[in-house]
Amino acid sequence: MKELVELIAKSLVDYPEQVDVKQVEGEHSIILELRVAPDDMGKVIGKQGRIAKAIRTVVNAAAVKDKKRVMVEIVQ
Amino acid sequence: MKTLEVTAKTVEEALEEGIKELGVKKNNVRVEIINEPSQGLLKFLSSKNAKIKLTVLKEPEEYVKEFLEKLLHIIQLNGKVIVERENDGDLHFNISGKDLGLLIGKRGNTLNALQYLLNVILHRQFALIEGRVIVDIENYREKRKITLEQLAKNLASKVMRTKKEVVLEPMTPQERRIIHIALKNNKHVVTYSHGDDPHRKVIISPR
Repeated sequence: MKELVELIAKSLVDYPEQVDVKQVEGEHSIILELRVAPDDMGKVIGKQGRIAKAIRTVVNAAAVKDKKRVMVEIVQ
Repeated sequence: MKTLEVTAKTVEEALEEGIKELGVKKNNVRVEIINEPSQGLLKFLSSKNAKIKLTVLKEPEEYVKEFLEKLLHIIQLNGKVIVERENDGDLHFNISGKDLGLLIGKRGNTLNALQYLLNVILHRQFALIEGRVIVDIENYREKRKITLEQLAKNLASKVMRTKKEVVLEPMTPQERRIIHIALKNNKHVVTYSHGDDPHRKVIISPR
């Protein structure tokens, strides 16, 4: 899951080398914390959060196989 | 492969200018330095500019295909990405394979999110490109089109019978277009859209 968020985020931003994803695993859920360069925040969120929402939709679909809930959080 | 030669005061400046002109990112070009800049003993006098040659590594089509292949690999799905050439200026991809339903999602939800992301990515990586990315999985879009056309016809009959308008569920622009086109020549009903994306809906009402 971590690799998936990395792949998508790195393709969206201007500073791919500053993309960092931390995976925090719980019993029934996984939290993926996505960090990007401050200038790139808007590039992974999009207008009205449309890009962030699309990322979450794709990641959640991929997570169906693992039978775990995945939450993608964009953190500063 | 597309190449470009750029001359500027320094190698860095030449690179910045070059990638801007090509509309690509730094990591998508190979840089060859033809001339290092040199300065004469007296600055500005007899100084030579830097000259570099840039080669674009990946074309848009190849870039998107590779992205999709990496994505399938990460989520451990066996899918084959096929580039479909249609002369409409858009980039068409079809993914075929087993168990790809989860990438389609309910009513194409996931597929549409993926296609949206690919479009954003394509235009970020290739600033000059004009076409769109269209992705299909196991010809889902073609099947969905037939379903929507059938739905349009059934609802149109209902509208004619009851003389009351029918509001459809929210759809993407492409899907709404299918409904509008399907009923374009129907003399008894009119179609229009209402609301803002992603909640925009088609309404069929009696003429």
